[in-house]
Amino acid sequence: MDDSRPIFLQIAEQLEDDVVAGRLPEETQVPSTNELAAFLRINPATAAKGVNLLVGQGVLYKKRGIGMFVAEGARARLVAQRRDRFREQYIAPLLTEAQRLGITPDQLATMIREDGR
Amino acid sequence: MTTVIRVDGLSKTYGHGANAVHAVSDASVALEENRIHGLLGRNGAGKTTLMQLLTGQEFATAGTIEVFGENPVENARVLDRVCFIKESQRYPEDFRVKHVLRSAPWFFPEWDQDFAEKLVERFRLPVNRRVKRLSRGQLSAVGVIVGLASRAPLTFFDEPYLGLDAVARQLFYDTLLADFAEHPRTVVLSTHLIDEVSNLLEHVVVIDDGRIIIDADADELRGSAVDVVGVRSAVEAFTAGREVLHRNALGGLATATVAGLDEAGRAEARAAGLELAPVSLQQLVVRTTTDETAVRTNGVPA
Amino acid sequence: MTAIAASTHAPASPGTRVWRIVRLLTANPMTTVGMPLMVLGLIFAGTWFIWWLIMASMSGADAQDAAEGIRYNGAGAWIFVYMLVVAVQAVNLAFPLALGYGSTRRAFSAGAALTFVMLSVAYASIMTFARWLEVLTDGWGVLGSFFGTNYFATDAGWLAQWWIYFCWFVFFFFTGLIFAAIFVRWRAFGLTTSLLALGVLVVAAAAAITLTDSWPRVWETLLGLGTLGVASWMLVPAVLAAGLGHLLLRRATPRS
Repeated sequence: MDDSRPIFLQIAEQLEDDVVAGRLPEETQVPSTNELAAFLRINPATAAKGVNLLVGQGVLYKKRGIGMFVAEGARARLVAQRRDRFREQYIAPLLTEAQRLGITPDQLATMIREDGR
Repeated sequence: MTTVIRVDGLSKTYGHGANAVHAVSDASVALEENRIHGLLGRNGAGKTTLMQLLTGQEFATAGTIEVFGENPVENARVLDRVCFIKESQRYPEDFRVKHVLRSAPWFFPEWDQDFAEKLVERFRLPVNRRVKRLSRGQLSAVGVIVGLASRAPLTFFDEPYLGLDAVARQLFYDTLLADFAEHPRTVVLSTHLIDEVSNLLEHVVVIDDGRIIIDADADELRGSAVDVVGVRSAVEAFTAGREVLHRNALGGLATATVAGLDEAGRAEARAAGLELAPVSLQQLVVRTTTDETAVRTNGVPA
Repeated sequence: MTAIAASTHAPASPGTRVWRIVRLLTANPMTTVGMPLMVLGLIFAGTWFIWWLIMASMSGADAQDAAEGIRYNGAGAWIFVYMLVVAVQAVNLAFPLALGYGSTRRAFSAGAALTFVMLSVAYASIMTFARWLEVLTDGWGVLGSFFGTNYFATDAGWLAQWWIYFCWFVFFFFTGLIFAAIFVRWRAFGLTTSLLALGVLVVAAAAAITLTDSWPRVWETLLGLGTLGVASWMLVPAVLAAGLGHLLLRRATPRS
């Protein structure tokens, strides 16, 4: 938990990470809010808020009387979402810093190609 | 959401004239049902007085208090649902720990004896020892156990960690969370160890010098303020016209804690070559309660 | 408000609220029953041994005289002072705990009064029974008079004997209650002031009696009242103390 952002957002992100990384496959049950709260030592209401955020986005869905499950196609949608965000979150600062250091986009591309092999 | 506690223009003044001490001044606040509320503030800020007013143990000088919709003073319908073991709680001279554990269930209809016994074991409380011979930590543990096992619909914990070591404190926080999840109730946790509990809280009330200076959801506060660090002139230029909670300068460098900085503001700061650092709840409280009031205690200018 | 409906338990009846204070005040029976009976037993055993020594060294008429002297011993009065202290501690320290437990001041005050009356009934019964044994055993075999000293004994029957003890216990309990209530309400300052005021009143009364040469009449009145009359009159200050104590506790706040 870091201090800069609301905890429920961080909970939601952690669960998203788990879905994207395949730790929470589709149609598996996610921990209950009480389990999450106890494990992460946070208020159960906060945990519920984070989970509900993902329910609202269609990442999770509720099976009445059983619990929360990862929705079908959730991973694909999250990956697509994150690809969109990748550019502004990683490429933009990368270019800013490169410019500051006098690295041209071509040089940057070369670096990436070399390291990416 | 149902409001359990509603306080309006509440004041408590001790003494008269020049000697008057304003323990609580014009406080207005509402606490929702089945949440964990943090009552934060420095020692002597008025936390205990406020809780005593809320439980009918003190009489208000001005203002109104509603607990479960009614005035709590001498009101059995309200007080039957309240548990408030003070940090400085006094017990009968002849009481051993077992007498506390024996008598508490008579007063709390929802008392869970098994739970109480488990807690006694976990906190390693000597049941046959006289209460007045307990260490500070053991005395805190007695209050914690009564508060938890009472399952009172409105439970106050008054600086419950005093004298408890790190393990016992974590035990309390974990037990509170687990039991609260299973038996939701309204909890008011008074503390000045804010970092330790900030993740447990859903709602935060900060009292300073008898006044309520913050009344907000914990998640709303998190990230609501940010430290802007950089060259002094740049910091000053950036903060002009913004709400600054706290300033600090060292040589040519300056830090300003800015409230309510939105994404555009953050981008502007980065563009101006300033660094941004998150402010924890504890730092936020410290910064909003130190500046002008740093030299005051209990409302009396030093 | 839905919050009021949220509690699954019906609110406690006024009787329950008062009764749990009685239980709180007697939660440690060692204080209200064990200790006083033990100490009373020890003092009795010690006193009996001294009497036995005295009686063993005397004969006939001398022993009768000594027995008359024994009737003025004050060892039996110890238990009354103990109960005053019990009352002081109960009110002073159980009051803040009861409020922490969510009790009302009203319930506490009523519960304390009920506790003290019940304890008075119990101890008056014990003392009367002991007096009956004392008479039966011819003064514990040594013409002793531990439970029938001149201040408490009566010839008016066992019920009267019980009543005398009861009244005195009630008097001491509620004396303790009123001073504890004054302390809880106004701390040491209030207690000192009220004790001083009481002292001044007693001295003033004594002075007034002396100046008007009324001492013989006072003694006459007291003798005329007898142990039964004096004890009954003790209920007047006790009831006043109970009422005043209740009023004080109704506005008292537990301080730490």
